[in-house]
Amino acid sequence: MTFLAPYQLLWLGLLVPLVVLYVLKRRRQQRVVGSTLLWEQALRDLRAERPWKKLSPQVSLLLQALIIIAGAVALARPAGAGRAPQGSRLALVVDVSVSMAAREGGSSRIERAAAIGADLARGLPPGGEMMIVEASGEPVVRAPFERDATALERALGELEARGARSDLEAAVSLAAERLQGSPEGSRVVVLTDAAIDGTLAIDAHGVPVDVQRVGSGALPNSAIVDADARARVGELDRADLFARVAHHGPRAADLYVTATLGGREGAIASRRVRVEPGAMESVVMAVDLPPDAAGRSPVVELRISPAEGSEPDALPEDDLAVVPSPGRRKLPVFLVGTPPASVERVVRADPLTEVFRTDLDRLAERDEDADPLEGLFVYTGDVPGDPPAGDSVVIAPAGERVFELAVGEEVSHPRILTWDEADPRLRFTPLQDVHLASLRPLEGPAARSLVTTSAGVAIASVRRSDGETTVLGFDPSRSDWPAQPSFVVFFRNLLERARERRAAGGVPAGTLGEPLRIPAPDGAEVSVETPSGEALEAIGRGGLAVVPVPAEPGVFAVRVEGVPRFALRSLLDAHESDLSPRLEVTEGGEAAQGAVDEADEHAESWPWVAGLLLLLILLEVLWASRPSERRRAL
Amino acid sequence: MSASLLDPDFIRRLARLRLLVRRRFAGTAGGARRSTRRGASVEFADHRAYAPGDDIRRIDWNAYARLEELVLRLYVAEEDLTVYLMLDRSASMAVGEPSKLDVAKRLAAALAYIGLTGSERVSVVPFGAGADRPLPPTRGQRRVGHVLKYLDAIEPSGETSLRKTVDEFLARRPRPGLVIVLGDMLDPDGWTRPLDRLLSEKHEPVIFHVLASEEVEPPAGGDFAFVDSERGKRVEVSLDRRARQAYLARLDAFVDALEGYAKKRGMSYVRAFGELSLEDALLSYLRAS
Repeated sequence: MTFLAPYQLLWLGLLVPLVVLYVLKRRRQQRVVGSTLLWEQALRDLRAERPWKKLSPQVSLLLQALIIIAGAVALARPAGAGRAPQGSRLALVVDVSVSMAAREGGSSRIERAAAIGADLARGLPPGGEMMIVEASGEPVVRAPFERDATALERALGELEARGARSDLEAAVSLAAERLQGSPEGSRVVVLTDAAIDGTLAIDAHGVPVDVQRVGSGALPNSAIVDADARARVGELDRADLFARVAHHGPRAADLYVTATLGGREGAIASRRVRVEPGAMESVVMAVDLPPDAAGRSPVVELRISPAEGSEPDALPEDDLAVVPSPGRRKLPVFLVGTPPASVERVVRADPLTEVFRTDLDRLAERDEDADPLEGLFVYTGDVPGDPPAGDSVVIAPAGERVFELAVGEEVSHPRILTWDEADPRLRFTPLQDVHLASLRPLEGPAARSLVTTSAGVAIASVRRSDGETTVLGFDPSRSDWPAQPSFVVFFRNLLERARERRAAGGVPAGTLGEPLRIPAPDGAEVSVETPSGEALEAIGRGGLAVVPVPAEPGVFAVRVEGVPRFALRSLLDAHESDLSPRLEVTEGGEAAQGAVDEADEHAESWPWVAGLLLLLILLEVLWASRPSERRRAL
Repeated sequence: MSASLLDPDFIRRLARLRLLVRRRFAGTAGGARRSTRRGASVEFADHRAYAPGDDIRRIDWNAYARLEELVLRLYVAEEDLTVYLMLDRSASMAVGEPSKLDVAKRLAAALAYIGLTGSERVSVVPFGAGADRPLPPTRGQRRVGHVLKYLDAIEPSGETSLRKTVDEFLARRPRPGLVIVLGDMLDPDGWTRPLDRLLSEKHEPVIFHVLASEEVEPPAGGDFAFVDSERGKRVEVSLDRRARQAYLARLDAFVDALEGYAKKRGMSYVRAFGELSLEDALLSYLRAS
């Protein structure tokens, strides 16, 4: 059993004045008498005559206490156990989308779901089993079929809301699949707050599905649903901060949008904005983002907070957004060897780059561990055997292998066939009119093809543990590409991507609760400190260290073998910030609204009636115990 | 102080009265009481055969004329009576308005006065958990003031044990006499055994039962914690109609038992509480003689 409104249990505090009243009521006037012999005998006679007389005052107190307890428990809205489906096998699907982190009545929706699940586990029939499926972006079995209620409760206790949207359908399908062939009475129970856009089409292959809603309904919530920081063109260390604020609730909300710099005290900008229910408002703030002594600009934190008089927020997870600062000093670009003039020209034309020329020998002489270079490396022809960490571009590789790619024999006049328009480097870069004089096609399992020609891959991307490398299997100067706008755009995209990755700390930004995918060499020790100060550790495997993190927005401080990085997590999802139930359930192609348990909706008026009842009981006690009444009774 | 115990009007009424005695006792000196001994009073008692050495003035010549045997006429001897005023002075006697002890002391004073003016020997035995040092038997009207002063000095304290008191009293082997017990008789050890012992030792117990008005008429209602003045025991009572009735029934049973016991054993039992004033109670007892 769980309480949908556990704060109503505060009514139990009335027991204190009740007992006090009884204590006061039983206060006796002390009187010295000659002897109590006759009184003792008289009382014995009375008890013999009415054996319950001694108990009667306590019975009265007990009854009144029970009335208060029953009233308070009723107000707390016990739920769950009574509706628990009793089946031989039970597959519990729990929605762990971030809206389940919304708090109402002192507990979060996911805690309530866990409590309902625990009731189901405890109420399993003899021999019954239960499994727990976490419905996040991808369904995850948190506990296989298990009879031990304690183990199930432990698994339920480990559930936490995440930023990814729940794929309930996939989770139900997985649960139904696991229930195939189970005895009659087995069923799937879905616990969700129904704060999901769209329809849940139940296709459980004949397995009964119960959808129980957790939470009382729509809750007021304001959220930052989009955020960005853009450098101002021509103004060094100046940036525009963008925030898009949404509000869900019965009344309009007055909110402060405040920008701070990660790791620094004080706000750098703040705006007050009024957001109507169901609407969104945009806020733009121009700020100074000076870099620190190491040339790094801090992360920008955008936070909303209710102004005076506005209703409180049910979901704090979406009140904070972190974005990388664009205000970093210019991107260092190291030209190793002699790049084509067209490439050097494009790089130097970017106002936010600092270009350094070097060669392989000088690069090899450096003590990379003591003083690591940080920037974009552009290799032309030869590539060092142990390249420094960081993003890089390789133009017309000279050897037979480069960054785990095999470089094929030169082919003349290959024809460009396809290119990956979704890749940020190839945005606005039409290549159909580009003609290459020659190409050494690139091959390798670790490579991702960006541009493909009739002779093979012309441009490939290699993701390494310490950076990302873009390899061009041809010399642009031996093509007509430099004469076309797409050439400039491609290299500017490359520079921008390197700049963004550098600003983002080297770890791809993600949504709330999404595991950190930290580039790290095999066996490297990776430590993470969450925004709330929790320390996590992982080991790099296959070039990555995947660190599951709690659904906290903010900056995660990362160290890969001692080298500091950071990772950013924000929700920035307008749908998840809408906490109102709106999921439609269909079964067999027909709407099955009834499947979503709506019993929790009836919570608006009766608690007040019950509260009035408690008040009347209290008045009755006061009335019965007033002195004049006592005198009259005697 | 003594004046507070006996006022002049009351004394005048007492002057014509004598203590009621149902038994005869052997006194130590000539007095106004018939004695178990044969003596020289005018009241004929019996005949016996003449023996040499007898006073020939007591030979009944009329009997000799009829029987031709010398017999002596025997007359009842009149000797004094010892009155023991056994006065309960335990803490329970302090309750009431006036206190039960005051009432008992006034009764004792009146009885002592009657006794002393009637040529009886009067002794006062205050008792609590045991017999206190008594006022030794004294006689003569001149000793009234002395007795009253002794009574006046008695203060309430301690517990009650009539049993121990009687045991200690009898241990001194007192001359049998009238033992007037003045107290509330609310004794946890009971009262039958000590009274029986007094009877068995040839004493004549008389009970003057003293209760306070609040013991006879408890309060009409309220939540009380009654504290026993002697034992300190606390009894919580919610005084509703039923509780009051139960108490009064117990009180009646207690008084009836005491009265019945006295009647059964030929003792005098005097209620010194209720509607009768203590003077009326005392006079009703004395007039019965």
